[in-house]
Amino acid sequence: MEETILKLQQVTKVYGNGVVANRDVNVDFQKGEIHSICGENGAGKSTLMKMIFGIEKPSSGTITYKGQQVHFKNSMDAIKAGIGMVHQHFMLIPSFSVVDNIILGDEPKKGVFINKTEAIKKCQQLSDKYNFELDVTQKVSELSVAKRQKVEILKTLYRDAELIILDEPTSVLTPQETEKLFVQLRSFKEQGKTIIFISHKLEEVKQISDRITVLRSGVTKGTYTNEELSIKELTRLIIDRDIENDMDCFKKDSSIKGNGLEVRNLTMKHNGKNILDNVSFTVKNGEILGIAGVEGNGQVELVKSIVGLNESEYSGSIMVNGVDVSKLSVKQRRNEGLAYIPEDRMGDGTSSELPIYDNIISTYFDREDINGKILMNTNAIDQKSNELIETFAVRCKDNKATISSLSGGNIQKVVVAREYETKPSVMVAEQPTHGIDIGSAEFVHHKLIELRNNGSAVLLVSADLNEVMNLSDRIIVMFEGHVAGYFKDANSVTDHQLGMYMLGASRQSAEEIEGALND
Amino acid sequence: MISIIKGIFTLSFLLVVIRLSTPILFAGMSSFAASTTGIGNIGVEAIMTMSALFAILGSYWTQSAILGLLIGMLVGVLMAMMIAFFSMRLGANPTLVGIALNTFADSLAIFILYLFTGDKGSSASLAVKTMGTINIPFIKDIPILGQILSGQHVLTYVCWICLIVFGILVFKTPLGLRMRSCGLNPDAAKTAGINVQRLQVLSLVFSGIFASLGGIFLSLNYLLIYSKLMVSGMGWMGIAANGIASGNYFLLIVGCLIFGIFRAVSIVFATTSNFPSDLLTAVPYVAVIVVIVTVSIVNYLKIKKGNVNEQ
Amino acid sequence: MTKKKSFDKKNLSITNERVFSAVKILISILIALIITFIVLCFISEQPLNAIMTIMFGPLKKARYIGIVIEKTIPYAFAGLAACLLFKAGFFNLGCEGIFIISGVSVAAVAINEKLAIAGLQPILCILAAGITGGILMLIPAFLKAKFNTNEMVLSLMLNSLYAGIAAYLVRTFMLTTTTSTVGSKNYMATAQIGYIFEKFHISACFFLLIAVMIVLEIVMNKTKLGYQIRLSGTNKKFAEYSGINSFKLSMVVNFLAGVLAGVGSACHLLTQTSFYIPSVSVVGIGFSGLLMSMLGKNDPIATVIATFFYQYLQEGASVLYYTDKSVPSEIIAVVVGIVVLLISSQHFLRKYREKKLLKEGLAEHD
Repeated sequence: MEETILKLQQVTKVYGNGVVANRDVNVDFQKGEIHSICGENGAGKSTLMKMIFGIEKPSSGTITYKGQQVHFKNSMDAIKAGIGMVHQHFMLIPSFSVVDNIILGDEPKKGVFINKTEAIKKCQQLSDKYNFELDVTQKVSELSVAKRQKVEILKTLYRDAELIILDEPTSVLTPQETEKLFVQLRSFKEQGKTIIFISHKLEEVKQISDRITVLRSGVTKGTYTNEELSIKELTRLIIDRDIENDMDCFKKDSSIKGNGLEVRNLTMKHNGKNILDNVSFTVKNGEILGIAGVEGNGQVELVKSIVGLNESEYSGSIMVNGVDVSKLSVKQRRNEGLAYIPEDRMGDGTSSELPIYDNIISTYFDREDINGKILMNTNAIDQKSNELIETFAVRCKDNKATISSLSGGNIQKVVVAREYETKPSVMVAEQPTHGIDIGSAEFVHHKLIELRNNGSAVLLVSADLNEVMNLSDRIIVMFEGHVAGYFKDANSVTDHQLGMYMLGASRQSAEEIEGALND
Repeated sequence: MISIIKGIFTLSFLLVVIRLSTPILFAGMSSFAASTTGIGNIGVEAIMTMSALFAILGSYWTQSAILGLLIGMLVGVLMAMMIAFFSMRLGANPTLVGIALNTFADSLAIFILYLFTGDKGSSASLAVKTMGTINIPFIKDIPILGQILSGQHVLTYVCWICLIVFGILVFKTPLGLRMRSCGLNPDAAKTAGINVQRLQVLSLVFSGIFASLGGIFLSLNYLLIYSKLMVSGMGWMGIAANGIASGNYFLLIVGCLIFGIFRAVSIVFATTSNFPSDLLTAVPYVAVIVVIVTVSIVNYLKIKKGNVNEQ
Repeated sequence: MTKKKSFDKKNLSITNERVFSAVKILISILIALIITFIVLCFISEQPLNAIMTIMFGPLKKARYIGIVIEKTIPYAFAGLAACLLFKAGFFNLGCEGIFIISGVSVAAVAINEKLAIAGLQPILCILAAGITGGILMLIPAFLKAKFNTNEMVLSLMLNSLYAGIAAYLVRTFMLTTTTSTVGSKNYMATAQIGYIFEKFHISACFFLLIAVMIVLEIVMNKTKLGYQIRLSGTNKKFAEYSGINSFKLSMVVNFLAGVLAGVGSACHLLTQTSFYIPSVSVVGIGFSGLLMSMLGKNDPIATVIATFFYQYLQEGASVLYYTDKSVPSEIIAVVVGIVVLLISSQHFLRKYREKKLLKEGLAEHD
């Protein structure tokens, strides 16, 4: 029974810029097991997987697959050897059909042409075999996130993968969808496939794994059977200290009352479909309102409408401190006290080729204190940026370092520092800790709480349920563009309850939802 | 004005349209081929110019039209490879490379022309073997249809064959699927084990071949000499057509044909109407402006009304 | 003390950004000249003499330098216009057309007898050209900013349209019968701009160029407008996110670029020509300006210097052509083309620099 399918020995990866991602990693994977790799962001999980999948080459050490030492040149080699990977960010082409996405790179042929009939037949059979409930002729752009993930998994099965790597597969799923996924993973296991499961959600890891390997700062902290470890022990292995999960103890009541942000009847159509459907809620001064929901249920459009970056027309009103800003420009909205931490910090939040001092003043570059009569005051800008770099603990060479030379966490700190500097009365934080290291994430969380304590209204939009539940005072759940559920007390709701609303399995009555506006 | 409208509905006008559309269709295909894998080739005009020149020179050197054609195509591919080298290998912005090539290709062509002819204006002094027209037996005897289908320039037939073959290649074969995937999501293509860079270079080879054929049509097949500034914006018309088609092959062809019609208008009526000739030469460019502005306004309104393409 | 020393050394080392780009430019020019020399070996009887004439010919006579300076002016204006546009992230290639159509405004004012007032008429000409250029540049700017029309194709088509309109206007309203090509009547003598320093062909336009260059350098590096241009040019979405009105910015930048192109056209026409021929007088200057800006990496001062360098070589080639008819002056286009491509290549010489950086980084850790 015990048969090692993949063995990593002394695997080390040093990147060109000198960063050591993995050092002397030793792990072995048994055939037919579900093996979890745990570790915080930046612990080296992704790099390790990239080496197994042939995207990166190890600097030293050996990878033995099915008893033979392998040197994959690219992912094609890994795929041919029977390794499949489901990436955290889906590697799909939305305008292609499911079939085209699956067969891409390994197309059935008839002469020089693609054999479409055979392709469809083969993919549909595969989907039916594992109960994936997919119509393979549909376009991927028409599918939900969970279904897109199934397409990704089908891609690996189509290529007869014996070893499937899943990189943070549950981060985009509701608890219910996660359970379904686990059922499928177990059925793969019964068929003798090996699963490498990467996650930082420890409950899930405990639930699904046969064995668990912990990575910390690129080094393995050992491989354990599931029974050997409690969640608490696992946590300690991962970060070597207890983390404060619940932020309530840091919250203080603010003396400022009233509604910072008030959204009423926001409605917007995309291709005739309501992408936002009569959304109404308020965020009071001195509170954090969390918006939970599976990606793609209108959160992006909602945020863009609030901050003024929407290209499509919408109806309804958006009040910031009692002023209707729905017809105002981004600048005017910011002048009313709005600030915004965008999800895409490289695309929207910074200009990567420019130095920190340019980036850290972009939303208030015309303010008096950093401008002279005609020219900008270089000294003042220098001072201001150094001051912010220090207060927000941005790790960089100096304020002239370009954004592209910083790590994700430090870039996010630059963004947060800039938005914080404008002393906003309404802060819209969109996935504020997505993909950054735990230290920076904790820092960002504390800054959001600080804003709240000082009387700002904070709107938190996140796909990370833990984040929403730990930070928020009140929570609303969005599903297909409408508010499906409202919870007055964030502490008295479970992730499972939220999941029901996120999936559309439950929906509150109009009166209950009105609480989001009137409570 | 009425005479112009009357003139449009004649057979001879249609024949002119077919002829004048050929280089634009080639340019459109060139731009399309490159953008399929996500590389913007805006050097089409430059490639057409250089290929037009070298096809004439090649034909003069070898005294063979076919060899002239091949030399012209080779130069086109080399130019496309220059774009690939500078943008993909040396990390230059492909748009800037394209602008640079376009801006100095004209001078370079004059330089080379002068070296071999002592003339900076045209290749009139060179005796070259040129390509002619093809009469298709039987079909040529069919009234009207025969005149349209038969007796066209060799490269016009090549153009339409390329259109069909390349369309099939891109939309029906594994290679085409892979090429399109590179343009739509290079990361996805890479993880499916596809060598994205290689396909991008390949698509630039196609792009270079099509652009060169467009230029060679002008010099070796149609006007039978090389003259300064002969490409006069046709490469850009192809790029414009590809831009408004945004991946739709049928729209690409329609766009190129529309621009061809307006080119025909400006040339055919230069002698027959009393419309100011200076303005008449600008007609095809106005047509392009009207079309691309209209398309962009329509897209703008679509987005505003909430009709968006998902990626 | 030792720290200070190593700091100084670092400033001169290849890893310093400025030193690196200077070295890169020099190597690019060197490569271009070597290639040119190889080409000359094939086409000229005396290649060594030819390359020396190209490189040092203009120094032989003050008149040559004068020609270099006066030719630098319009090309530098075109280059500065392109600087503004490129820096703000606009691929608007419309300067060529603006040069041509503004020429009509210049001619219209310059041939007008009623405006024949010494000292005033040239200023009116420059104003007319600048306003024409600025306003016409707003067309592609507006369509791009509002509807996201492809500005590159649009501006190129407008170039051709403007050429047609310019020819039509000159033919219809100001045609002279003395030349075979379509050209305007002679300008009034009062419209011509004379030289202040006769020997070096330095006119008031030269000082205008220097003033504009300095103002632009300050605007682009030290003002709020320059900051917005920088932000928008490197990441437009980020600029919009930050609250910058990209529509307004686009209008301002394109208007200014149009003004610069128009003024450049006027300077050239009033010093170098005595009547306007739309198909000849200023053709090609706008396009060359794009290359000038790329040579100068979108920096105003560097662009003007690069333009001087370009015109210097051009003059060298012209001097060569007097004696050696086998080498056409277009050879300079080859030199410039190679230099532009190499300078635009971010990875060119980068490997070498990275090795040095890595070494330095390791040394620092010791």
